Amino acid sequence: MPIVELHQVRKAYDTKIAVHGLSLKIEPGTMFGLLGPNGSGKTSSIRMMIGITVPDSGSVTLFGQPFERKNLTRVGYLPEERGLYKKMNVLDQLVFLGQLHGLDAETAKKRSLIWCERMDISEAIPKKTEELSKGMQQKIQFIASLLHEPELIIMDEPFSGLDPVNATLLQDTLVDLRREGKAVLFSTHRMDQVEKLCDEIALIANGQLLLSGSMREVKSTYPRNRIQIVFEGSDGFLKHPAIAEAKNYSGQAEIKLAAAADLAGAANAVLAEALTMARISRFEVVEPTLEEIFIERVTAQSPAPVNGVLTHA
Amino acid sequence: MHNVWLIAKREYIERIRARSFMVMTVLIPTLMGGLLWGVGMTTGKSRTNVNIAIVTQDSQFGLDLQEELATHKHPQIGAKVISPPEAVTRAELEAEMNHKGLDGYLWVTPPAPGHASPTFEWKPKSKNYLNTQNELGESIRTVLTKEGLAKSGLGSADVNLLMQPIDLDATDASKKDAASAAQASAFGLFFIMYFVIVFYGMNVARSIIEEKTSRIFEVLLATIKPEEMMAGKVLGVGAVGLTQVAIWLVAAAALSVPGLISLGSDISFNLPASLMIYFVVFFLLGYILYSGLAAALGAMTSSEQELQQMNIFLMLPLIACSGVVYNVISDPDGMIAKVFSFIPFCAPLIMYVRIAMHRPPWWEIALSLTGLVVTVLAILWIAARIYRVGVLMYGKKPNLPELIRWLRYS
Repeated sequence: MPIVELHQVRKAYDTKIAVHGLSLKIEPGTMFGLLGPNGSGKTSSIRMMIGITVPDSGSVTLFGQPFERKNLTRVGYLPEERGLYKKMNVLDQLVFLGQLHGLDAETAKKRSLIWCERMDISEAIPKKTEELSKGMQQKIQFIASLLHEPELIIMDEPFSGLDPVNATLLQDTLVDLRREGKAVLFSTHRMDQVEKLCDEIALIANGQLLLSGSMREVKSTYPRNRIQIVFEGSDGFLKHPAIAEAKNYSGQAEIKLAAAADLAGAANAVLAEALTMARISRFEVVEPTLEEIFIERVTAQSPAPVNGVLTHA
Repeated sequence: MHNVWLIAKREYIERIRARSFMVMTVLIPTLMGGLLWGVGMTTGKSRTNVNIAIVTQDSQFGLDLQEELATHKHPQIGAKVISPPEAVTRAELEAEMNHKGLDGYLWVTPPAPGHASPTFEWKPKSKNYLNTQNELGESIRTVLTKEGLAKSGLGSADVNLLMQPIDLDATDASKKDAASAAQASAFGLFFIMYFVIVFYGMNVARSIIEEKTSRIFEVLLATIKPEEMMAGKVLGVGAVGLTQVAIWLVAAAALSVPGLISLGSDISFNLPASLMIYFVVFFLLGYILYSGLAAALGAMTSSEQELQQMNIFLMLPLIACSGVVYNVISDPDGMIAKVFSFIPFCAPLIMYVRIAMHRPPWWEIALSLTGLVVTVLAILWIAARIYRVGVLMYGKKPNLPELIRWLRYS
């Protein structure tokens, strides 16, 4: 039974269509990446999943049932626009948000303390929120969305603005939660994170689904036509006819091969040519990165100007 | 309902804990009390017992004055007579004034040749003895008159008869007193209501904008409905306002208990229970009406500055009310009073004042209340809809057609 299912969901704001017949499904125990350029309808889709806004048409199914508000206590949500009560003390704030998600004050307090320790911000507990750094506030809000042990965790850009140490801490926490069988959905435009973390992805642009499926499926539909090469010497081999496109970053080149029936043969030819004029320390034939797929698919779609009124992502 | 309670509770506790609440609660009555006390001090009203000395060559005059002063009550003046004075008397009195309980002395110098009356020198300890001085002057005049009359051959019985105070029929005057007390308390409660509605109504709008700018809305909306949020906010902030008014009223009542704190002896605080109930009913309806409006305004705008511009819609009816309130108080059944008490946005203030001054027919009260309740419900319905769409809207202020479209969103 999928945890979330959107079926042909459509949402329009005044003049702009934010989401265009979007369908997707998230199974328990998966890490789901919702990708898309700015203003593509990510936040609008997420808002409809949790009933902040109601779709104009189409259906939203949560936990196998048509959308019902009472099920929202089983969802943890970290919005893209972070917000906490500035003047409120951290613990009070966490307890309040926990209570809104149906916990009693006692449990909310106990879990807050445990989570603060896990997130390494115990020293922030007695402070007022406005005294904390932005990263710390983000961690507090991260905790607030998890206190009630939700089965579905939705995070809009969870890692933006965090330093690498904290970003990793959050990543690891999400991975742990997935292992516990929770469904995690996060939106981002950091492709490296998606590639590392996600089991499933969906790519949307202009409110339409461009691509979806498991990471392996998505990647396997793309041919292994990329070469990464590290070399010393002349870069003349980059003009080889089998190469469609090449970028040379002083001794490190990224090559895209022209479409051909025998890509492996073409790669070998490029290597042979390179060996005649340069010393090669690394040569690797790879499938395109998610980032490349992303850029290719998004630019292939009509690059209509996107003006977000209500949609932030 | 649980969520409304949680929101209201948070709002209430955070606000009560805030330093500004304490400051407001303490400062405003302190300022007003201080003002009254200051007035009391300078007019000497607060003094009840004054000790003075009368220094005179004429011991009979001294005793007469002493007797006359003893009949006065405000303030009660106890006088000792020193007659005749010795060389050191003045120095002694000055010392007594500085160290002992002497409040002042009256030095009577016998008439110089060719003058009919002696000269009187009044030396009080400080300037704050205006009342004592008035009483003293009056008493001296009375004693001198009596002496003069006696000298011209009248017997003391006749003199006393002549000097008898006249019995004025004072019933009309005291009725007028009661009327002005009713006016004062109607005024006082009008301004409390006005102030709390403006201040806490604005607080609702401001707190919505604050939550909008801090973007906490999205987290809250992920679990609770916008209607619940708005209700919680209006109730929580309103409860703070009520708490503040309650603190003030209790403090005012305590101050007016005679003897507890002497300064309030002239300010009586008595409100019939029925009027109290009307006050609470109109106050609550008025508050909900205006805070509902404020919530809608807050949801429509996204910064404090924008709110200031929209404020005028909120303030206009209230300003109109305070413009006509004098008229309503002096003529509670006049045309202006009637018209304003049926305009729902003015009804809470003006109808209450009318009831406090001179109870209008029951059907007028009922009509005004019905209009008010219907308006409150309509405003809440509209505000909830604007709120639902508006809180997630940042940036541009909506225009009228957009607002109407918002109302149609479900």
